[in-house]
Amino acid sequence: MTGARQGWLVARRELRERSRSRAFQASVVLMIVAVAAVLILPALLKPGSTRDVGITGPAPAALTATIAQQAHAAGITARVHPYASLPAGEQAVRQGHLDVLVAGAQRLEWKGQPDEQLKAAVTAAIQLAVIRERAAAAGISPGALAALLTPAPVTNVELGSVPGRSPADQTAVLVMTGVLFFGISVFGQMVLTGVLEEKASRVVEVLLARIPPRALLAGKIAGIGLLGLAQIGVTALAALIAAAAVRSIDIPAVRGPVLAWALAWFVLGYALYATVYGALGSLGSRVEDAQAVAGPVTVVMVVAYFASFLTIGQPGSAAAKALSYFPLTAPMAMPGRIAMGATAWWEPVIAAALTLAAIGGLVRLAGRVYTRAILHSGPALSLRDLWRDRTTAGRGPSGTSTRDAEAPPQPAYVEAEGRTAMTGTNLTRYRMLITALTGTGVVLGIAAAVFTRDVIIGVAAGAAFIAIATQLVKLWTRHTGPPVAHH
Amino acid sequence: MLGFDGVTKRFGLVTALDGCTFAVRPGRLTGFLGPNGAGKTTAMRAVFGLVELDEGTVRWRGAPIGPADRTRFGYMPEERGLYPRMRVRDQLVYLGQLCGRGQADVARSVDAWLERVGLAGRACDRLDALSHGNQQRVQLIAALVGEPDLLVLDEPFSGLDPIAMGAMGDLLAGLAAGGATVLFSSHQLDLVQDLCQDVVIIEQGRIVLAGELAELRAKVADRFVAIRYRGPAPDWSRLAPATVIQAGEGQARLRVGREADVAAVLAAVRDRADLVSFSYQPPTLSELFRQAVAP
Repeated sequence: MTGARQGWLVARRELRERSRSRAFQASVVLMIVAVAAVLILPALLKPGSTRDVGITGPAPAALTATIAQQAHAAGITARVHPYASLPAGEQAVRQGHLDVLVAGAQRLEWKGQPDEQLKAAVTAAIQLAVIRERAAAAGISPGALAALLTPAPVTNVELGSVPGRSPADQTAVLVMTGVLFFGISVFGQMVLTGVLEEKASRVVEVLLARIPPRALLAGKIAGIGLLGLAQIGVTALAALIAAAAVRSIDIPAVRGPVLAWALAWFVLGYALYATVYGALGSLGSRVEDAQAVAGPVTVVMVVAYFASFLTIGQPGSAAAKALSYFPLTAPMAMPGRIAMGATAWWEPVIAAALTLAAIGGLVRLAGRVYTRAILHSGPALSLRDLWRDRTTAGRGPSGTSTRDAEAPPQPAYVEAEGRTAMTGTNLTRYRMLITALTGTGVVLGIAAAVFTRDVIIGVAAGAAFIAIATQLVKLWTRHTGPPVAHH
Repeated sequence: MLGFDGVTKRFGLVTALDGCTFAVRPGRLTGFLGPNGAGKTTAMRAVFGLVELDEGTVRWRGAPIGPADRTRFGYMPEERGLYPRMRVRDQLVYLGQLCGRGQADVARSVDAWLERVGLAGRACDRLDALSHGNQQRVQLIAALVGEPDLLVLDEPFSGLDPIAMGAMGDLLAGLAAGGATVLFSSHQLDLVQDLCQDVVIIEQGRIVLAGELAELRAKVADRFVAIRYRGPAPDWSRLAPATVIQAGEGQARLRVGREADVAAVLAAVRDRADLVSFSYQPPTLSELFRQAVAP
């Protein structure tokens, strides 16, 4: 019985139990319905294209036919109804039987706001009919008139910000990046809470008596990842089917290779973040600790997500390139650049290799943290606890936790109702550190703003630095708020 | 055969296990005794690699224990825990499969176990829908479902009612009779004395007594005499070689040397009291235990 087979059993349990949960099933159905609705509803809600046009008073003989022709050219089916008197026609408009009344080929009467498309079509029809009437009176033949009136062709092109990619492409890439962010963070956090639940319910001790910690963590990450891949795959399939059904989407960026890369980047990004989430989950001791231990990674992810917007607007810029190679941001930044056609074939390959290397390193690190922390009971751990005390993997003499049994040489922390609070000097040091980091962030932000000549980038860079740095300090020291009052 | 060989574990300044050396033999029940905080749980966790040892090794059949060995072990931790929201049967089958057994094979033995403990009707319920006592039963099956060669149970009798305790005792005795090696910790010394062939007593991380219970009891220099009598309490002075260690209404307990002449003691007691019963015994496990861990 190898660790790999046991890992597969763990993965299979995750798949089975989680896919059986009502909440998960509901989320799958909800995602499919939401995606389908976004694609199908606009097509269904498009207002009907039949309009009723009334005519009264003197008008050129060909007006009725011309209105129908012009409306047809604008994609409208127009039904033309003659009215004997103006009041009768106006009555019909007021009652909603008519969309517009053409009075004496001179005035268009609407119930309220004119329908611009219909107004344009009917106005053009009146002009055309009047011109034809005058031309006939002036002795110009219909053929000569047609030659005169044929318009010079004018076409509209949406340039977008990148050659070969339209604004619709950008929107599609934005949605794709959003789905990647959503998938990586939702399933990553599922790993975190899963680890925490196993630890809190103490089932982890029964499991680890049978299988190595690494097999348990790896199996959990793999199982939840497969679940995530399945949900994203099903959602993507639903999107493609819905789009095909209403023929409402025609986006050149959504091509096979782009989608394949997007899925590959989901797997890479999930593997990277889930590994970290798994290690962090083992630091907590109760399910309520989830938000506190997840904080730093969540902030990094959100920053990476917003940074990836840069790659959509300016996929060729140096910043976008750097983001798409840096392993923490690559999973959200690189797919966008690929979709915008801004990469040579080898660029994503190298970025993927870099990310894989980072995953390899993180797996080793996370395995260490997890192995040490998962069997620890008592209050939530900080990374510093693990660093300082390398022998915390396990509890002390029966019934007492390690932290109770060992008297730390310098009790920098005082335990109060299971929470770790800081004592005076450490709190001062902590506040000074946070202030220093905030100052550094402000300076960095200003520097970035000056360098890029863009205030927004400066603010974003500074804020990102401060957020990440403070979260990391919190994870290191596990300072979650103001010190707990002592009795 | 499970062997502890100079096992030492320190937590910071506290030494939880201090050069522990003892063996647990197959086909027998071994009781693991010691006051709270003596190191029982840490020692048991060491068998499963749940604590990193500072020194020494735990051996199974002579070799250091590896992951493959552990799939042949069953463990019931002191802090009970299973997946609260997972169905009972699924959960047990999963744990059995982690031991390397095939799904159909595990499912059959899970069903048999559930039947045996009277939980067949709850197989498809979530664990947290079960009562505390029934969750304990499921936890026991979780330890047994891999058909282990070695069973380590941390306080298996705690929280059980007298009937469940009897059933648990029969079950463990049956497993040992089937050839399994069984080590369990307990504070119920009378129960351990009735059940176990071997005991290991640990105190402040050190093994103070280990071996066959009957032999350990026989080896102690003191013997005890329990007597019952009718009438008023007699004068117990000048009863040498016996000393009265406890006297009450109509009964008394005396300590005599191993070499003492029992017949002479009996005669001396008879001279003083209207004797109803007289029994000569080696020390009970409780007495052994108190002697071993006395400060």
